[in-house]
Order: sequence, then structure tokens, then C-alpha cells
Amino acid sequence: MKENSYHLHDPTWCRGCGIYGIFAALKKAAASLQIPPERMVIVTGIGCHGRLNNYFNAYGFHGLHGRVLPVAAGVKLANSSLAVLAVSGDGDAYSIGVGHFIHANRRNVNMICIVVDNRVYGLTQGQTSPTSQKGYVSVSSPFGSKETPLDGPRLAIVSGGTFVARGFSGIPEHLTALIIEGMTHNGFSLIEVLSPCVTHNKINTYKWFKEHIVNLDDDTNFSAKNKKKALEVLSDQSKIPIGLLYHEERPSFDDLSLPSDTPIALTKLDVDEKKLDAIMKDFM
Amino acid sequence: MISDIQVMIAGYAGDGVLFTGNVLGKILKRQGWEVVTYRDFPSNIRGEAMNYTIRASLNKIYSRGDYIDVLMAFNCDAILRHIKSVGENGVILCEGSVTESVRLSPKKGRTFHKFPMRELAKKNFRSEIFKNTILLGGLCYILDLDMKIIREVLSEVFLKRKGKEIVEKNIQALRLGCDEAEKIIKEEERHSLEERPDKDRLFLSGDEAIALGALAAGCRFFAAYPICPATEIWQWLLKHIHKFNGLVVQTEDEIAAINMALGAAYSGVRAMTSTSGPGASLMMEGFSLAGMAEIPIVVAHVQRVGPSTGLPTRPEQSDLNQWVFGAHGDFPRIVLSPGTIEECFYFMADAFNLAEKYQCPVILLTEQNYGQNFYTVEKFDLSRVSIDRGMLLSQDELLKIEDYKRYALTENGISPRVVPSMANGIHMVEGNEHDEKGYRDEDEEIRIKMMNKRMTKLNIAAKDVIPPKLWGKEESDIGIIGFGSTICPIREAMDQLEEKGISTKYLQVRTLWPFSAAEVEEFMSSCNTVFVVENNYSGQLSRLIQGQGVECSRVHKINKYSGHTFRPVEIAESMLGVLEQ
Ligand SMILES: Cc1ncc(C[n+]2csc(CCOP(=O)(O)OP(=O)(O)O)c2C)c(N)n1
Ligand code: SF4
Ligand SMILES: [Mg+2]
Repeated sequence: MKENSYHLHDPTWCRGCGIYGIFAALKKAAASLQIPPERMVIVTGIGCHGRLNNYFNAYGFHGLHGRVLPVAAGVKLANSSLAVLAVSGDGDAYSIGVGHFIHANRRNVNMICIVVDNRVYGLTQGQTSPTSQKGYVSVSSPFGSKETPLDGPRLAIVSGGTFVARGFSGIPEHLTALIIEGMTHNGFSLIEVLSPCVTHNKINTYKWFKEHIVNLDDDTNFSAKNKKKALEVLSDQSKIPIGLLYHEERPSFDDLSLPSDTPIALTKLDVDEKKLDAIMKDFM
Repeated sequence: MISDIQVMIAGYAGDGVLFTGNVLGKILKRQGWEVVTYRDFPSNIRGEAMNYTIRASLNKIYSRGDYIDVLMAFNCDAILRHIKSVGENGVILCEGSVTESVRLSPKKGRTFHKFPMRELAKKNFRSEIFKNTILLGGLCYILDLDMKIIREVLSEVFLKRKGKEIVEKNIQALRLGCDEAEKIIKEEERHSLEERPDKDRLFLSGDEAIALGALAAGCRFFAAYPICPATEIWQWLLKHIHKFNGLVVQTEDEIAAINMALGAAYSGVRAMTSTSGPGASLMMEGFSLAGMAEIPIVVAHVQRVGPSTGLPTRPEQSDLNQWVFGAHGDFPRIVLSPGTIEECFYFMADAFNLAEKYQCPVILLTEQNYGQNFYTVEKFDLSRVSIDRGMLLSQDELLKIEDYKRYALTENGISPRVVPSMANGIHMVEGNEHDEKGYRDEDEEIRIKMMNKRMTKLNIAAKDVIPPKLWGKEESDIGIIGFGSTICPIREAMDQLEEKGISTKYLQVRTLWPFSAAEVEEFMSSCNTVFVVENNYSGQLSRLIQGQGVECSRVHKINKYSGHTFRPVEIAESMLGVLEQ
């Protein structure tokens, strides 16, 4: 499978939008893992990020604002042989869907979640988002945002996440490597991607992100196995660390709760009178 | 000999009322009798008044009766609360001594006895726990129950969980209660029915029937959030679904529950969720998505009293509007309403088949008094359950299609469905308006075609859903219309009226949407007087009928919204009030 086997249509995001970089990295990752398109399901939220599966050659599910993670978990648990990818936004995952985000991390279903963090509500024309910085001026906060921004990876780690990473759509090779690693991780993998919205966010531009990110690969003292370290790096508000922040091996929800190795969706469906009859005896 | 008895056990939450009632129900079922229970409990754990009514009969019965024959009271307060409902020859046994206020209360023909369950338990077993089995012993004497059956049931209840020693102790306690009752109860105060063989019958709640029905119908994925009175459905399923390679997931909320079920259904698994009023409100957006994206999903809704948190453990029928009219946008939906415990079981198979045939959400709407009460029914006939997956294609069929379209425009609006992992079937499932392949499209012409396609499915389904059922005397010109579990007191009220020489008939609406307007209209036109009986304030069913343009000037509404089901006599008297005018 080549990269362009996953390319269905040319996207129509604004020219220069960060999501192009994510789209490219995803195609590369899928090609590198040789995932047949029909074995891949991409579930997206509502927002500019939500268009991604319109352009990607794989099964796609575009549902409700904020509800990506429960849908994706349902898809995966019903057919564990699928590669399931959830694509969400900073509004989708951290605002309206933040309850699911927390529980997806602790539940640890074997799937990958990409949060496209453009620090703004793109699709609805530029309102302030939970990751917009304090004082951020937008149509919904003309006098500057009064709230402290939310840090997705930090929330993921304290919620029991087992694979927490952050990438930048401006460095596609680094992002591709993270996605590949996340896809091979057994459990819930979060990859937050810093992704400039060139139309609405004039603060967090490519240049701004480049000036603020630090690549953890360059820090020889850092280990993603150390939760305390991860939280420590994330607490430095002046820098935005990218790379694998935290990684833990823990049996996935699938390992712990699926009744067999045969995916539920592939089990023959019939009325098993013998088994049901035995169960009915409980009521006699 | 009498043919019908009704026992009430009343006390405070924490007295073991529920446990004792459950065991007694099972015992009476094993005696070969028809049994109906009515559990009346508040939504707390300890300290508040609660009671458990068990009615047994040699004849087919549907609801709790009007009067109590035996009241087993854990305290005087319980007597004061329920004395009005004790029948003329009723016996009242009370844990404590009878207070002055009780002594003075009207008690024509009723007799009181002190039955010191706690005291006996403490004296003989040094533990209050045995008071409930002592109580059962007392009933064993009064109702002349078969000791062998009680032993059998007690060992089933205790052996696995508590061991042999506890079983033996309970049997001793049972004897003790029985002997104590023999000392104080006069022969004419005993109420006994003739024992009959108990063959091929089940004793279960509506929630359990729904769960068993779901399992039989091939439900293999269940996602839900705890809520009274629907939780028992998935808690029961948890014990069995793994044997069928299925899974139950407890989600973080109802929004996640319906969305997770949608994900699983999209993956090709028969998936459902269950809930009650407040949870259903949270599910509305997902319900709308199921309609738009044409995902077959089933929701079992066990109604409780609303609005808001309302009365969480009590019955009402006020969520009809929510499923028939709720959620944004116009989309096809099917709402079924089982009227018997048997229908709770069999309708689950219909629900899944309809969901897959018409690729739309299907709701099974019932009420707390079915969900959490127990009834005797004939063993379910599994040969009546079949699985119809509609237009779900196999891989071979899909490979033969040149250009697969998930939302292909067809004459009946139903498009062939495939699930992820199938080669040659890649498509989008879309909550936005979309083209035939599922890709977002805002073109005006496509929008109209897609709306028509989805709504056409509903027109076709209307001819395929479960029709209303007629009960009673067809030639009568007095008609009753209702849905769901109100059939129980309605049928008993009909019997009471029949005894007075008034024949009636009842139309049980079994599909609330698409509404059986033609059948209802025909029924109404054959009546001079029509009563619409509902457990709600506004008359949601009668408004639904009116909304169909049916002539409604002869309709009399009978509504109850006290948090309790109708007593048969309440319906009969309301009807008489109108008929005698
Ligand atoms: C329940 C609900 N509320 C509001 C909306 C409107 N809405 C659509 S997208 C969006 C915000 C998207 O922001 P984000 O998740 O950051 O996505 P982006 O467009 O930035 O990729 C909102 C509020 C909706 N679709 N559904
Ligand atoms: S509005 Fe922003 S996020 Fe949306 S496509 Fe344009 S640049 Fe990208
Ligand atoms: Mg955003």
C-alpha cells in the first residue's frame, strides 16, 4: 500500500491550514504500517478537523460534536480486528466532549485519538477555545479570555492515559513517527497535534509555535516512562514540549473485557435455543 | 375455597421487605399459582416506608388487586398507612404491639395479631436477620403453603451464596414462624388456595424479560449508564452475555452510552442501550444521529415519574412524547410499547429486526411497574424468535457490486448496508446531509432526495409494525384505548364491569410510532363512548390520537399521575361515572 492509496480527495481546508500536515502524516503512517484501507475506521468530530475522513480512503464515521470517543470505542469493541482512529478538535475533545476524553483515557480501549489543537473554534468562525491562551481576543472574548487554558496531555496523564504524546503539524516526519508509535501501542493513545488555524488564530501561528516548542527527543534526561517527569515538563508554562510524554504498558480494556479473541462482529448470529433454554431455568 | 389472595409486606427500607417479597413471590409461583407483584418503594436505601404486594390466584390475573387479605407489618405505622386497603376479612400481623391509634382505627371484620418476628429471631438465633424467614413461616401457616416448596426455594436462595448451615438455620426459622402463627391464628383466618402443578412457567420482571429477549434476539453489545428502573436489564445481561461472545459496557453517561452503541451497531453488531426519563433526555442528540446516519439501534426505555428527577422508582407513562416527537429534525423512528411481560420479551426481537430492516432507531417503551415487578408467564417460545438482518450484505454480495453506495436511492428508501472491514465497501456514515456514498453534500436537490428517502422508509415500516390488539367484547360500544402496562388494571376493570352487566372492549396500542391511526379510528367509530386511560397528566396518547386527525369528541380521558398505577376499581368507577350520566 502506497501513501496515495489512502488519498481519496484533495482536501479543501484553507490554504496553509495545519490539518494538511496531519492528513499527510496519517497517510504516511498508514502506509508504513500497511493497513488495508477497509480495515481502518476514522471517526471524526464536528469542526474543521471533522472533514478529515471525507478525504481519506478508509471507512469513515462523522457523528456529533464531542462524541467521537464513545463512537470509536463502540466500533473497536464490536470489531477488535479494525484499526480505529478518532480525530477530534480542541473544542470537540476538551470542551463539549471532555467527560468522554477523561474516561477514554482511564478506560484504555485499544485505539488512537488525534486532537487537532488549533486553539480556536475553526468551523464556527474563530471563537475562543479551551486551549486559547489567557487574554486571547476573539469574537467570543472581545475583552480577552478570562479562563486558564486546559492542557490536554496533562489531563490525559492524570486521567490514567497510557500513551500521551504531542506533535506539531509543522514537523510532519516527527508527527508521523508519533502516530506510528501510537498505532502500535496496545491501549488508548492520545496524540495532541499543534495545528495552526491560519484564518482565525493570528496569535498561535507556525512561527509562534516554532518559537515555543521544545522537542523532548533532544532532552537526554527525559524518560517517557516516568509520570512525575512528564507532569513536571508539562508544568513549565513558558514552553510547549512535543514528543512522547508518557508511555505505560497496561492491559487494554479490550484485553480485560472482551469475552474471546473472535471479534464480536464476526460471530455468527443465531438463536441458540439450547443455551437460552438453560438460562431460562433461572426463572422457573 | 377462594381463588385469589393478596399479601402485603410493609415496613421501612432496610427491614428486608424487598428480599422477603421476592422470595415469597417465587414460593407462590412454585405452588402453581398465577402471581403478580407490586413493589412500592422510595428511592432511598434506609428509613423510609415501603411495601411489597404479592397477589396470587388460580385464574389469570394482570395487576395488583384492590384489597389486601394479609398484611404483614414491621411496625404500627405500616398498619395505619395501609388499613384502608385491607379487605373485610383481612388479617393483620404486626411486629410490635398494636398501639392505641391502630386499635381505634375502623376494622370491620379485620383481625390484628402481634407477631414478634424480631424478638423471636433475637431469642432463638441471636440475630435479627432471621426475622424475614420467620415472617415467611407465619405466611406459610396462614396461606397453608407447601413446606417442601419453601425449603426448595430457600436452599436455592441461600445455598450457593451462604452455605448449608445458613440454609438449615433458615429452615428452623421458618418452622418457628409457622408454629408461632399456628398458636395465634384461628382456622377461619387462614387463606389458602389449591396447590397446582407448576409446569413450564417463568417468574420474572419486565426488565429481565427485556434482557432475555435482547439476548435471544442477538443483542451482543450493550452500553448503558445506571438509572432506576432500567438498570436491571443490563445487570442481568452481564451475567450471561459473555456466553454469546457479547459485551456490556458501563459508560460515563447516557450520551456516551448511545454513541458507543451507535459505534458498535455501525460495526455490524446488534447493539442497544437502556435508560429512563433523564437519561433519555441526554440521548436525544444521538437518537437524531441514528435517524440521519441510518444506524440500526435499539433503546429500551423503562419510564419513571417525571419531570426532572421526579419519582425515580415509581411508574408513569409521560415519556411517550419524548420518543415520538423528541430530538431535532425529521427522521424515521419506531416506538414499540409492550403490554405484557411476554411482549417485553418477544418485542425485543421485533425491535432488532425492525431496526435492521429499516435502518433506523427503534425504541421499546415500557414502565417501572413492568420493569421492576415480577409476573408468572408461560415459558417463552424460542421458535417464535427469528433474526432478520434486512439489507445487510455479505462480503460475496458486496464484491459483485461495481460502485457500492451506502445511501443508494431506492424505491423503498432502504439501501444495502455493509460494515467496516468489508472489501469494496468503503463509505462514510454521515451525520451531515450527504450524497449516496455518504459524503457531505449541501446541494438542494440531494437534500430533498435524501429526506424523502429516509421518510419513505417510515411509510413502508408503518405497514410492517405491530398492530394494535383488541381485547374484550368486539360488539360492545364502550371502548377503552391505552398502551403499555395500564392494560393490567384495565383488563381487571373490564372484568369488574362485566360482572355488573356492562360489556366493554379494549384497544391496546402496541406501536406508538408510526401510529396505527387507521385501526384506532376504526375502533373509535365502532364505539359510542371511548375512554383513553393513561398514567400521565396531559394524556399524551389521547393527544397523539387527536394529532392524527381522528374525531375525538366522544373521548373521555382517565388519567392518574400520583406515582402509582391505577387500581382496577378506580378505572371501573371513573367509567361508571361517565356511563351513568
Ligand atoms: C451540540 C453542538 N453544539 C454546537 C455545535 C456547533 N459547533 C460545530 S463545530 C464547533 C467547534 C469546533 O471547534 P473544534 O472542536 O476546536 O474544531 P475545529 O473547527 O477548530 O477543528 C461548534 C461549537 C454543534 N455542532 N453541536
Ligand atoms: S478555519 Fe482554520 S482550522 Fe479551519 S480549515 Fe481554515 S485554517 Fe484550518
Ligand atoms: Mg479547534
